[in-house]
Amino acid sequence: MTGLGWAVVQGASRLLGRDDREAVMGDVAEACFGFGRALSDVLDLVIRRQVDLWKNWRPWIAAFALVLPCSLSLMGLSLSVSKTVAQIALHEKGAALPLVLLGPLLLGWSWAGGYVAGSLSKRTLWASAVCCLLPCLFCLSRFHGQPVSRYCLLLFVLPAIWGAWQGLRDWRAPRSLAIGVALGVTVLAVATASGRTALFACVLIWPAWYLIAAMRRDSQPN
Amino acid sequence: MLGEFEYVLITTAVGLGEEAYGAAIRAEIEAAAGRKCSLGALYTTLDRLESKGLVETWMGGATAQRGGRAKRMVRVTTQGVQAAKEFYNTVMRVSRGASWVAQ
Repeated sequence: MTGLGWAVVQGASRLLGRDDREAVMGDVAEACFGFGRALSDVLDLVIRRQVDLWKNWRPWIAAFALVLPCSLSLMGLSLSVSKTVAQIALHEKGAALPLVLLGPLLLGWSWAGGYVAGSLSKRTLWASAVCCLLPCLFCLSRFHGQPVSRYCLLLFVLPAIWGAWQGLRDWRAPRSLAIGVALGVTVLAVATASGRTALFACVLIWPAWYLIAAMRRDSQPN
Repeated sequence: MLGEFEYVLITTAVGLGEEAYGAAIRAEIEAAAGRKCSLGALYTTLDRLESKGLVETWMGGATAQRGGRAKRMVRVTTQGVQAAKEFYNTVMRVSRGASWVAQ
């Protein structure tokens, strides 16, 4: 097998867990098969493992009940924050107060959403990433007539990635932080919600409360 | 009762003894059965057998031949041996009188 072929097979094996990857890549190296057989071996196991993972409810909830709707809401919130910052830059009166509310809400909600997506998805995080990417690309392509850059829609992405990384690593929030984020996000979401989207926004803050649920679950004796 | 591939895998692993791991089991199955055996089928079947308590697996030593990567070693448990015996006996019983079985 050529160096390129081996790199492709190794790349495909990245979709496997550590032990699976170690065992399978070792077996492939030992068997000295050609590129086609080696790649089909790895992809066969990847597909079987993914099918097993998707038999669970967690990746479905993470991708379609959390990441997809939250991405849309968070893009809206990112835009509001960006507009508020632009107003402050223009020295408009009364623009600072909304930023004090919207900024922490964006940070807390994005981080909590990413954290829950990472915790629930694990090796299906790629699907959650696609469910975030697609609405982002759609909105970016249709973004025009606004006083701010289109990339302001993506303000939520960095804290969400940070949260997803911590969720993937099974990091557990300290009690005070979990309660603080849950209460803070809820209060800020209620305070800033308006019109028809208010209920939608309030429902979508559930990731913040998931932090407390996860903390309580971990503290219960086995 | 075991499935056909589960029986083949357990029997091959027992035959290999201390040298039972993914690549070796696959090579034996392909040589004996004369058909391709994918690593995906092998490892998912191993997982199933392990969850039933019929085999035990662990990450073993690495060799230079494998690029320094560890092997997933396999040991058949007593329940695994018993399940394979039952499968074999059942196949032998139901095969009695079949036209292809030597009298």
